[in-house]
Amino acid sequence: MTEITSLSLTDQILGLTDKSFSSKEITESYLKEIKKKKSLNCFISIFEEESKENALLADENIAKNKARPLEGIPVAHKDIFCIKDKKTTCGSKMLSNFISPYSSEVFSKLDNAGAITLGKTNMDEFAMGSSNETSFYGNVLNPINEKLSPGGSSGGSAAAVRANLCSFATATDTGGSIRQPAAFCGVTGIKPTYGRVSRWGMIAFASSLDQAGIIAKNAKDAAIALKYISGFDQKDSTSLNEEVKDFQKEVDANQEHVIGIPKDLIEKIKNDQVRDSFKNAISILEKDGAKIEEINLPHIEYSLPAYYVIAPAECSANLARYDGIRFGHRSKNVSSLEDLYVNSRTEGFGREVKNRIFIGTFCLSAGYYDAFYNKALKIRNLIKNDFDEAFKKVSSIAMPTCSNSSFELGSISDPVEMYEQDIYTIPANLAGLPAISIPSGTANEMPVGLQLIGNYLDEGRILNLANKFQKLTDFHEFK
Amino acid sequence: MKITKQDLKNISLLSKIKIDEETSDSLVEDLESILKMVNKMDELDTSKINPLTHPIENTQTLREDIEKKDIEREKLQELSEEKESGFYLTPKVIE
Repeated sequence: MTEITSLSLTDQILGLTDKSFSSKEITESYLKEIKKKKSLNCFISIFEEESKENALLADENIAKNKARPLEGIPVAHKDIFCIKDKKTTCGSKMLSNFISPYSSEVFSKLDNAGAITLGKTNMDEFAMGSSNETSFYGNVLNPINEKLSPGGSSGGSAAAVRANLCSFATATDTGGSIRQPAAFCGVTGIKPTYGRVSRWGMIAFASSLDQAGIIAKNAKDAAIALKYISGFDQKDSTSLNEEVKDFQKEVDANQEHVIGIPKDLIEKIKNDQVRDSFKNAISILEKDGAKIEEINLPHIEYSLPAYYVIAPAECSANLARYDGIRFGHRSKNVSSLEDLYVNSRTEGFGREVKNRIFIGTFCLSAGYYDAFYNKALKIRNLIKNDFDEAFKKVSSIAMPTCSNSSFELGSISDPVEMYEQDIYTIPANLAGLPAISIPSGTANEMPVGLQLIGNYLDEGRILNLANKFQKLTDFHEFK
Repeated sequence: MKITKQDLKNISLLSKIKIDEETSDSLVEDLESILKMVNKMDELDTSKINPLTHPIENTQTLREDIEKKDIEREKLQELSEEKESGFYLTPKVIE
């Protein structure tokens, strides 16, 4: 018999509704697994007692036929989402003592939908990293091969889903932080349109790029979970006041697809196995009736440099709030106000976060603003226009999620080599478009992802296409 | 692009983060390699392009001017290690 922890969200909801099992059983099974697989280091906090109590309440609601849509479903939140009266570290020493006085909208929405919060997942410090190695709490191990990276920054969420430690997990994506770890761990990860999900209570890295999303076992599960975190929020000034379509219905609808392939980019993929698995995935979709069109994204190769100006610039401004005074790490070694600022920040931030603050500070400083920051914003416009043009003739765009599968922990020390991990994921963030990564094959015996990018607010379409692919293949099944 | 000792000093001053002697060489190496990658932007002529600060054109939404009880000051101040009578404490700034 299949363990309840490895059932899909869809089947778990069914099982809870028809009382094949209880929320108590499923929650306790996950807690047991979390303990058993503690060495993976997926979690920074675990709410054992509270989740057991909440499971009992969920079972009462189910018994009284008062179940909410996700009643009794155990989930994990990336430790970037504030939960009232709970520690929220963002993977940093800076926030190791931070008990949030309020809850993020993402948490509140899932909580109101009846989900049980098992705990908070490990991540790269302030979501800055592509391997999970910048976490102050030690890196997560990839459950498929523990010598390898789970990817980052949402490595804890992706690994927790892969290791069957939660039904699904929340995550965030500034330059690929949902999609790259999803690809490395062989799970499904969606970053919706910028503004689709409220950023209220989600610790800021680069505000014009950050977006919350979902890591799940498959596209159908991701559609259900995404439906319950999406929607307009008055508390987030960049939140989109747009109707949220029923992704759960859309994922299974009969839709026609025209998939755009940026041929130049595909031909340049160096890893043969990544290129072959991509081509194979496209031919599977083509045989199933999708139309394939070649498209041109002439400025896409400038995404990486533009991103590594814009993201650090916004990060340097956002992280200026950590001054040691109101919250966060406060240095003990202080004799002046200047000391308090400098020593608190120097002690509280890790190397990668400092690097990004330094780069951002440099690019925004007098004499360099136009050459770097303004230039990057202009390139961002060109990239957005490339996508706008492409979406005139296609309904989604496909490319690999990453140029490689997972790599050994500790094997990449050059920052630029690490940044290149995000070469295919960054464009969707710069343009604010929704994008999903689904398992599509292997390279070096590790999963690789197929990335599908959709037009604005068209999450339903890429979820539908991803679901189609998963009906035709078994790459997403954990073996 | 070369990062000079003076650049490092300026960055450290502006970001309020100390750069110690021991790590400054490897930091310069990191920063120069990042800037080298970033300089690829120069290949493009963007003189006629407008900067895009935000991916989605969205106007600020306003809400009704109704008093709301948000987070209380005491609750927020609990987060600070040093406070007194509703004030945050810092080392003395006035002699």
